[in-house]
Amino acid sequence: MIKALLWAEAYKLMKQSRTWYAIAAVFVLELIVLISAYYRGAAVIDILLNNLKESFYFEGDLLNGNLLIYLILNSLWFNFPLILMLVISGMITDEYKDGTLQTVMLQPVQKKWFILSKYIVATVFTVLMVLVLALSAFLFSYLIFGKSDLIVFIGKLNFFNAVEAETRLILAFLNGCISMIFFSLASLTFGVIFRDTLKTWIVSVLFLIVSNLLLKFDFKWELINKLFYAKLNDTWQYFFQYEIPWNIILRNNLLLVGYIVGFSAIGVVIFNKKDIG
Amino acid sequence: MIISGSRLSKSFGHSIVLKEVNIECKAAEICGLLGVNGAGKTTLFKILLGLLTPDSGEIHCSSKGVKALGGIIEKPALYEYLSARENLKVFARIQGASSDKKDLDQYLENVGLETERKDAVRNYSTGMKQRLGIAIAMLNNPEVLILDEPFSGLDPMGIVQLRDLILDLAKNKGLAIIISSHIVEEIRLVSDRVYVINNGQIVKSGVTAEIIGQATLQHYLCAEHLKASTVLKEYQHTFLTETGALIEIGIEEMPRLMKRLAGEGIYLTSCTPRIDMYQLFRTAQ
Amino acid sequence: MKMSRNLLLLLLGTLSALAQEVDADLLKVKAKMDSVQSFEAGIIMDVDISFINMPTKEATISYQRGESVKFNSDDFILIPKRGFDFSLEEFFRHPFITVDRGIEMYQGKSYKYINIIPNSKKADYAIASLLIDTLNYRIVRSEIITKKEGAFTVNMKYDSDSAALPASMTVEFEVEEVKIPLNFMGRDTDIDRKQIRTEGKKTGQIYLQFQNYHVNNL
Repeated sequence: MIKALLWAEAYKLMKQSRTWYAIAAVFVLELIVLISAYYRGAAVIDILLNNLKESFYFEGDLLNGNLLIYLILNSLWFNFPLILMLVISGMITDEYKDGTLQTVMLQPVQKKWFILSKYIVATVFTVLMVLVLALSAFLFSYLIFGKSDLIVFIGKLNFFNAVEAETRLILAFLNGCISMIFFSLASLTFGVIFRDTLKTWIVSVLFLIVSNLLLKFDFKWELINKLFYAKLNDTWQYFFQYEIPWNIILRNNLLLVGYIVGFSAIGVVIFNKKDIG
Repeated sequence: MIISGSRLSKSFGHSIVLKEVNIECKAAEICGLLGVNGAGKTTLFKILLGLLTPDSGEIHCSSKGVKALGGIIEKPALYEYLSARENLKVFARIQGASSDKKDLDQYLENVGLETERKDAVRNYSTGMKQRLGIAIAMLNNPEVLILDEPFSGLDPMGIVQLRDLILDLAKNKGLAIIISSHIVEEIRLVSDRVYVINNGQIVKSGVTAEIIGQATLQHYLCAEHLKASTVLKEYQHTFLTETGALIEIGIEEMPRLMKRLAGEGIYLTSCTPRIDMYQLFRTAQ
Repeated sequence: MKMSRNLLLLLLGTLSALAQEVDADLLKVKAKMDSVQSFEAGIIMDVDISFINMPTKEATISYQRGESVKFNSDDFILIPKRGFDFSLEEFFRHPFITVDRGIEMYQGKSYKYINIIPNSKKADYAIASLLIDTLNYRIVRSEIITKKEGAFTVNMKYDSDSAALPASMTVEFEVEEVKIPLNFMGRDTDIDRKQIRTEGKKTGQIYLQFQNYHVNNL
């Protein structure tokens, strides 16, 4: 049964025009960010290297595809999950609104498998969207701006050669994928709790904004800084430290997966308990 | 007995919505559930279909199929962005029913829908959506069909077509069908037995013709020269038009009156029973 | 009066005895370098600056006498502004005097220590100090205090006594470390130059190894 339910959820998602609007929106956003990153990038490099100009000439172009992909990464981790949350939460709120949930429950379908299939398809959809985002970012950036060293300022000026930069950027996207799954599934859980489309959107957006604010907040207790979910969503940045702290990255990702499982479990339990009628 | 619900009760907060309701339906039988808005019809159907849990009471269903009951609650909820075939395909696959083109075509044909139409269901009329809803309810061949207000929103032609479909499903395919409505005429024309529900309780149940007949205390008669009738003077009556009068007469006496009027040379052009709703929905004493 | 005038004359005489138009050894070094018409070599560069992390870089260097040195690399590289004046053009472009400061020990060997002081205001350096290997006529160390670009120290090592070009070179310099308060490569920062604070000058070094020389001599 689960296979059929997974197929049905994927089928419905792909058949909705809203999904394709979201994919188009991601591309448009990416294009805008790419253009703005190009103009910002020149100023950014100028500032970073300003004090070195006294002592050095520079050979090679730092304003290349790798820097632009890095700037895309930085810019998209708010806008992108926003689009994802709107699409994913609709997977359940639309069913409440249109009454199709009732029609489904009138068929011999188990509630827990039905909602679980939504969580699974939401995860796969999120991964595919990140993949599309990453592939298009790499394609456009490299095609138009080429590849060379990447310069990143995290406490120090870190230079990475082209090959290493590409690897780190790919790893950053993969890691960022986990954060995106977290927000997607959180929005699905909000949909289960609130049922209403508009309420779910408001709560989801608020959740995203608050998470981003809390990310920058320095808590007094170090344990909160290490374990609190909001602090884990920037883990991708660690890939741009000169020496990659693999143990911290692994710990953060495991914790985030734990939060994902927790949020999903809450949604499944609540959905299972509530009467559909 | 294919399906029966016994002593079903349900409350929402302090509001008692159903109280000790008994209902049953046999194969090839159409049972009507008649009640005004808010009487508890939809709640009872949701309980029968498993969408709500009753506070007390039991449901028995002797059907052993993958899907014992199929149904529509209120209006059929469909995926508006999918076509009829795509809707059927989705609902068929999630319950393990065949989603082959041939089988889906059969389901569409059974309810009188075009098999080649590809546009989204949002473009369909209410009647067509109802029929598609029934097709979905029929997936996996349930032995019981529960339809909540299926005629609601349909035009006269749509009502006729749907009524014919329901009759066909019961009489030719042997389904047990429970159908609810607040419109007496619809229930009268389609159901074999009727349950009258009021304020969450079954106030009357029995053969449809008898139950409705018991509440039919007036008839509206039309005929040329009706005013000239002397027989009519034996009954309490009011002329509403030159040729039409409302007569205080029950259904059992009507055939005799018609015969006597004919004896006077007065031939009725129409005879419409008028149901006394208060009588129909009154709690049995 | 006569005493102070005599003292002044003595001082000037001493200075002129020590100062020369151009030190003879320096000229021999220049002549040796002028014999190299052109060369190409591969460079391996390592940067040692406290606020920079940069991997080892590879580049090629092309030198043509009379022209600026050219670098070529697939990567981004930092090329120190000083240290590649193999023909000593920057000294000889404008008139200067040299002052012989005697012998100095450096890494266990003794070298001739001279100062180069430009006579022209157009020179872009204030003073240079050179350690010259007078046996092989080459420079092992130079300290240049520029007018606008701070101070540079270049140390050179040679493979053999006959080598005119260095096998490796270290360029030391002063550089200001820039502290940027926010991680402004981040998502929501605007570039605000007023927010940038400086944290004073630090010393940095670049290590260069030369390999696979292709030299064209005159």
